[in-house]
Amino acid sequence: MAIEAASIEAHIPGLRRFARALARGDRDRADDLVQDSLERALSRWHLRRAEGDLRGWLYTILYNRFLSEQHRQKRRGVHDTLTEAIESELPQIKGGQDEALEHRDLLRAFAALPEEQRAVLHLVGIEDLSYEAAARVLGVPIGTVMSRLSRGRERLRQFMNADLDAGDGAPRRGK
Amino acid sequence: MSAARGDVDEHELTALVDGRLPAERAASIDAYLAAHPEELARLQQYERQRHALRQAAAADIGEPVPARLRVARVLAGQRRRRYWQLGAAAAAVVLLAAGGVVGWAARDWGSGAPPSGHRAQLAATERAITADALAAHQVFSVEVRHPVEVGAAQEAHLVQWLSKRLGHPLVVPDLTSAGFQLMGGRLLPSESGPAAQFMYQNGDNRLTLYERSDTVGDTAFRYSEEHGVGMFYWSDQDFGYALAAQTDRQKLMQLAELVYRQLSGDGAKPRPPPPPGKAS
Repeated sequence: MAIEAASIEAHIPGLRRFARALARGDRDRADDLVQDSLERALSRWHLRRAEGDLRGWLYTILYNRFLSEQHRQKRRGVHDTLTEAIESELPQIKGGQDEALEHRDLLRAFAALPEEQRAVLHLVGIEDLSYEAAARVLGVPIGTVMSRLSRGRERLRQFMNADLDAGDGAPRRGK
Repeated sequence: MSAARGDVDEHELTALVDGRLPAERAASIDAYLAAHPEELARLQQYERQRHALRQAAAADIGEPVPARLRVARVLAGQRRRRYWQLGAAAAAVVLLAAGGVVGWAARDWGSGAPPSGHRAQLAATERAITADALAAHQVFSVEVRHPVEVGAAQEAHLVQWLSKRLGHPLVVPDLTSAGFQLMGGRLLPSESGPAAQFMYQNGDNRLTLYERSDTVGDTAFRYSEEHGVGMFYWSDQDFGYALAAQTDRQKLMQLAELVYRQLSGDGAKPRPPPPPGKAS
């Protein structure tokens, strides 16, 4: 099966977005992950099912590469510091201050979610994958996708509400 | 969060946020939300968050793709590496011939000088994994009453449990298209930590997939046959895999490819119904 460069390249922006969501906005790390996944996909192109869903296949490879990288890092005792990674990537504040701050807080809260919740919120909420397709990419049952979605959303909401209430040890809004 | 509320469950509310609620459920959900304004407020907040995250992602759309992520560039890099590997392999052949050493003998070099530290280590790992996999196959595939520790009926639990023990998310390949049904799996000890064995059945024929984390390089399929058991071994990232059955090499190869494809991330797993009239 010949490699169809154009059909793969059509998915690269999506792969980069997914990688950024997984890498908590760290763009360099995300692009490393995409490059690594492309290398793997191209060297395994002959194993792809011709009638299969190319996007799902690529996303699956990327997610698996991400997990094994995480696994290796954990074994080596590397812990990426959240703040370092995302603070530099947060959008510049413009327009209404309150709204912009809330937007930053939401992105910060999103980055703080466990990776499996980030992955599913991204695939379903942003990339519009069906629940079934997201389940295949992540290698989990659909019910798990649904539970992760509702848990992730609830956690974001709690974070944002705690932020409004302030006090009681809730995450504070950084300025 | 997933507790049922009357006949409305959390998954349906999730589907509503994603605009994927089946139309026939809309009336019931509307009624539920009309009676529970706090729930409505919660879902509206989810929707706003979803929208805000989409907007943040949309800001990246249209950004140019860096050269290193272009397919042509990645392919060129791979060709270059293959060329060097071929060169190295050719050089190795020359050296082996010059030294009058039969390369195959390198497999069984135990006490002698290893060919190279890394390669020798990989070969030793491979021998250890295939030996353990063969032993596990021989012991458990003939077991009548307790062939597996956790049966296929509890597949989700099996996967979760073994993934946790092996410290890596495992995938149980679906081999129904080749006529093999999952029986279940078990946890096994090994010198390099916990290992997993999954067992499949097609009539009387049993197939086992053994896997564990170890220091392995990426290797291609390698076939061996011992005591009438055929085995394909390969490794991928940090895992070594061995697929064993009493079947011919050709059939086992097809199964190994099927397993490999699913493990390496082809998300689209076929789940065709079993062929009609097939005894199992």
